Amino acid sequence: MSKFVRKVMLGAMALLSVGLLASCGNKSTGAANGKHQLTFMFRGGDAEKKAYGEAIKAYEKTHKDVTVKIIMTSADNYATKLQAAISGNKTPDVFYVEQNNLMAYADNGVLRDITKDVKKSKVDLNNIWKYGVDSYRYDGKQVGKGDLYALPKDVGPFALGYNKTMFEKNNIPLPDKDKAYTWEEFVKVAQKLTKDTNGDGKIDQYGTGFNVVWSLPALAWSNGADWINKDKTKVTINTPKFAHALQEFADLQNKYHTTPSVKESQSLDTYQRWMKGQLAFFPVGPWDLPTYSKLSFDYDLIPWPTMSTGKSAAYVGSLGIGVSKKTKYGEDAADLAIYLSTNRKAQQILVNNMIQIPTLKDMANKWANEKNHGKPQNRQEFLDIVEKYGRGLPGATTYNSEWYDMFYTDIQPVLDGKKTAAQFVKDEQPKMQSKLDAANQQKKTAEATAGK
Amino acid sequence: MESTVKDKAPTDGRRKGRVRDSSLYKKEHRVAFLMILPPVIGFLIFTLFPAAYAVFASFTDWNGIGQMNWVGLRNFQVMLTDNYFWTSLWNTFFMMIGIPIGLILSFILASALSRGLKGTTFFRTIYYIPVISSLAAIAIMWQWAYNGDYGLVNQVLALVGIKGPNWLQNVHTVKPAIVAMTVWKGLGYSMLLYLAAIQSVPQTFYEAAELDGANSWQKFKNITWPMCKPVTFFLVITNIIGGSQLFTEVNIMTPTGGTEFSSATIVWYIWQKAFKNFQMGYASAMSIVLGIIIFIVTALQFYQNRRSDYKLG
Repeated sequence: MSKFVRKVMLGAMALLSVGLLASCGNKSTGAANGKHQLTFMFRGGDAEKKAYGEAIKAYEKTHKDVTVKIIMTSADNYATKLQAAISGNKTPDVFYVEQNNLMAYADNGVLRDITKDVKKSKVDLNNIWKYGVDSYRYDGKQVGKGDLYALPKDVGPFALGYNKTMFEKNNIPLPDKDKAYTWEEFVKVAQKLTKDTNGDGKIDQYGTGFNVVWSLPALAWSNGADWINKDKTKVTINTPKFAHALQEFADLQNKYHTTPSVKESQSLDTYQRWMKGQLAFFPVGPWDLPTYSKLSFDYDLIPWPTMSTGKSAAYVGSLGIGVSKKTKYGEDAADLAIYLSTNRKAQQILVNNMIQIPTLKDMANKWANEKNHGKPQNRQEFLDIVEKYGRGLPGATTYNSEWYDMFYTDIQPVLDGKKTAAQFVKDEQPKMQSKLDAANQQKKTAEATAGK
Repeated sequence: MESTVKDKAPTDGRRKGRVRDSSLYKKEHRVAFLMILPPVIGFLIFTLFPAAYAVFASFTDWNGIGQMNWVGLRNFQVMLTDNYFWTSLWNTFFMMIGIPIGLILSFILASALSRGLKGTTFFRTIYYIPVISSLAAIAIMWQWAYNGDYGLVNQVLALVGIKGPNWLQNVHTVKPAIVAMTVWKGLGYSMLLYLAAIQSVPQTFYEAAELDGANSWQKFKNITWPMCKPVTFFLVITNIIGGSQLFTEVNIMTPTGGTEFSSATIVWYIWQKAFKNFQMGYASAMSIVLGIIIFIVTALQFYQNRRSDYKLG
């Protein structure tokens, strides 16, 4: 080896070592050519990337002193990557906040209290969905009231869709968008539509095919049951009302046979069946609209069927945009979060990209009543869910959702008809309760630490 | 062989003394030192430090984002009564059934390919493709293959009149399904190592055996298999370590840990606790226990290997 080569290699090795050491110490945010550089971390697919890329560009155009660095992850990796960034003291300046992380992030000084920033920005909070805003209020005890720790990136109502073309073909009167089916009516219609259409002896068209995680809440709530009490201290599934709702859900498959059995299908496949036009009813969220706009049949939205309370219920989710408490440019970061959540231009970009419904009420109303907007006709149902009858998932407002996830981990025997709902809720309640107690204990510890 | 190494050792040591004095060797040592510096620093920063940190965290109630409070052995006590912990540990060990199956299959394949049949290179490539493919892509592909409705596996089974189960949703079939996939994926790698081992057996051994009138079974039992033992040993160890860290496949194919927790592995559960439920302290404690288990199993393997060490001649 020549001397020169050796020297070069030694130099390279030394540099590499220094680089390794140095890369562990630096902080990501900094000023790039005199501008404030913010990092914005979010998640999603190509559609989100494009939409938010455009919105950020629009922001940079009007805010010359700020540049925004985008960090994007897939939906699956987001929680892990974000938490790793937080643990490593590299919290992005602005980032998506999942509802069920709000308390932990606020208690542990991860999120900036943006109440004042929002006030200063003169954003009219009354024009933003109350559910969306309240999801990010936290008073140190419960979510829903108190200071603002984020703003809604979106709200995600989960409406019930039906295959209009199939109804017409089978001469079944179309459901009324203003008057929900009762549960009994619903089952009857679903049974009528479950049949063998090509005469090969196999059923190839089904009434229903719901995923228990997203659809059971609508039934349980409509039956006056819930997973948890108001104080978030007791698991309340061990009631006749709850058991009834769960049993009816399972019966769709085992007794009414309107849902393909596990042997014939699995939850994942019912999505495919719906897309192929083989299912009469299927849930629809705003995020489905781009895909469903290409369906070969016509569909529309209706309220979920009602059980004993006589009122429809539905699940509505949300994702927030929060600001790091440790950011160098708190006001700029808050401004960006507020912009993405509430600015008309930004919202228009996001809505044009069909990734969400507007967070601003007046804009959403206009959106719902646009002329000739294509399917689904009844966009209003989405807004009704958000404003009138939608509710957040029970696990979203407790310190962690382990207790709630457990319910679905264990539920398969009920869906298979191997265990009655009544027996299941009786067995499951104590198990879930102990996980909820643990979560509440964790919360208390975090509160004590936050107070220090 | 071992004894010859031992004989040489002192000579080496004596020579070392002289090596130190030479300025040429000194320089070379310095270069060598700088060469190994980056990986050593990397090891310290990315492995040793996090590991030590995890040991510390396992005695705290750290939630991953806030303060740590010392809780002593509480995490370990909780573990004792945590059913999910035991279930996931059981699942993890259950899925290691794939290791012997994989080794046997890859040995058979390697033996077949080492006979110099036509298309050996082609098949070697085919079997190696899963090894270099993205794990996520493979997991998604198998998820489709296992689809109960129109998955490839059940379609093939239907050809012979068997109605296949919904593999990944069924408590009883999900683990074997994942095992089959990991075996399929690891086959190429083990096969390649076995192939190298088989081909490096000196032909003279076989010739000598033939002169003594050994049949193929005896040749296999007394020459091929023992000569491949170091490879088997290496594969068993690395497979056990890899098997106890099974995560990606499970997380992609059964994102909720499977029906009734039937496919959740220990690493999956640790990840769940650390990144979903704000229990980094508890997760650290479980990973420490997992580390200890792996250490013990590996140590036992080494012990066993040394005891049954086979010497030719």
